[in-house]
Amino acid sequence: MSVRRWIMPTCQEMTRLLSDAMDRSLPFHLRIRMQVHLAMCTLCQRYRRQLKLIREMLRHQGNQLNTAWDLHEPSLSPEAKQRLQRALG
Amino acid sequence: MTDNPLSDPQGWVDSHGDLLYRFALVRVCDRDIAEELVQDTLLAALQAKERFAGQSSERTWMVGILKHKMIDYFRRTTREPIQSSDQSGEDTRDDGVFVADGHWKPGPTAPSGWPDHPDSLLERKQFWAALTICLEKLPPRTAQVFTLREVDEVEADDICRMVGLTPSNLWVILHRARKQLRQCLDSRYFGQAQGPGMAKS
Repeated sequence: MSVRRWIMPTCQEMTRLLSDAMDRSLPFHLRIRMQVHLAMCTLCQRYRRQLKLIREMLRHQGNQLNTAWDLHEPSLSPEAKQRLQRALG
Repeated sequence: MTDNPLSDPQGWVDSHGDLLYRFALVRVCDRDIAEELVQDTLLAALQAKERFAGQSSERTWMVGILKHKMIDYFRRTTREPIQSSDQSGEDTRDDGVFVADGHWKPGPTAPSGWPDHPDSLLERKQFWAALTICLEKLPPRTAQVFTLREVDEVEADDICRMVGLTPSNLWVILHRARKQLRQCLDSRYFGQAQGPGMAKS
């Protein structure tokens, strides 16, 4: 492996590292390599931001317990509501 | 019955149905299964209504029942064999989004500029609608571990114990789920020419 390859992971390797960094704490040398790559790569910066946006949205929406503020999507279909109403007797 | 603080069960579907459904759907990523879980929950609530202590709100109580129903569902599916589409292993497929040297292939499959944050209600609605559609495309067990991690913030070690995976298998599955979801959102929502007209960063 060339010195450049060692210092700079490829974008393909970066997608895996960026995901892993969301689930565990990566060793110091990997964090440095990621930062070096990110500093130079707009596409991987976007990739990271987008994974975080997906996470934020899921955490927020998935834990909405009131109807005042949420997005009212998705909803039970009218047919599904009828089925449930029948099941409840 | 006068001291029972619960509302009339006839109104439960209208007052709680959608919320319970959304709560289940974002976790199981399957409309039919989510509907079934809502039905199981409402029926269980009906049977247990004499025991409702009134210490929490009716809704919180029902969400608690739903959580138990979902745990039962996850236990059942964990016993089923992992589908080939869920198989873990090294990530060799890159779906043609990278060129030979491992960098992003220029063109529509490279990450396009999304707005930093969907702020307006319309943007949030569109993003959320696309995200729920994309979630349903994940293989079932992938969706299950992904939502445990992303929606419920369960730590990776705990997920491994719950579903019987090694950490390295779990990391690969989560990586694939994120990659697939991001790609789906990119083409379905933020893709060129069909975007909602938000300012691109």
